[in-house]
Amino acid sequence: MKLNWFTRKGIIFWPASVVGWIILVLATAYAVYTFIGINGRSHSVSDVMINFVFNLLLIGLVYSIIGYFTEARREVD
Amino acid sequence: MKKDDEFLKKMENLNVPEVNPTGHPNRVKMAIMNADRSAALGFWLVAVPCYFLACVFMYYFFNRQVSWFGAMFKLAEGLDKTPGIDFMAPIVLVVLPIVCIIINALAITHVHYEKGISGKPGAKEFIISIKIKTWNILLILISMAIVFTFIAYTMTENISIRS
Repeated sequence: MKLNWFTRKGIIFWPASVVGWIILVLATAYAVYTFIGINGRSHSVSDVMINFVFNLLLIGLVYSIIGYFTEARREVD
Repeated sequence: MKKDDEFLKKMENLNVPEVNPTGHPNRVKMAIMNADRSAALGFWLVAVPCYFLACVFMYYFFNRQVSWFGAMFKLAEGLDKTPGIDFMAPIVLVVLPIVCIIINALAITHVHYEKGISGKPGAKEFIISIKIKTWNILLILISMAIVFTFIAYTMTENISIRS
């Protein structure tokens, strides 16, 4: 079963369907939720940034893994 | 008529390519995985450990009294305190670079087995071809450096705990 949810542009997997956009919105919402949680627990801006960027990269990794397996393949004529 | 004559002359004077039957046959060498896709995913697989090492470098640079492995130990302790990340540290920092090595190696490697090459009936050859794809090779080297760094850190940590 072909799942053409994303198209790849360089290293970024861009949504190519409604499901892809939903996944992107969910990932963004989770990133914001994580930021708010880290901000509440941290003592300084650098503490927030160090922990948030780490979480953001993990979210980007999971998003890219989903995009990798559901990428729309280019048709060859 | 003139054009036909010219065409005939051209065809008669064509250089026929020489075929060397003993030469290495050209074939399409397809790797198991797509190189560009593997490089794209490989970037994200090494981004997290590279970021961790960048934080270690900054901590070491601004705290000269701490050694490199001491800086790694301090930051790893900080990661352990973050909820949900403590159990992921070995997966993120060791497993992901290993996965990156595997997918990029599969993307640039082609393996072929042949019998009876060059007219010799008993001859067998196992031919491994590696495509020179800059980004894939770079990601493999970076991932190997990350894995060796964390193996060295783990060994150092175990030795310091025992002593």
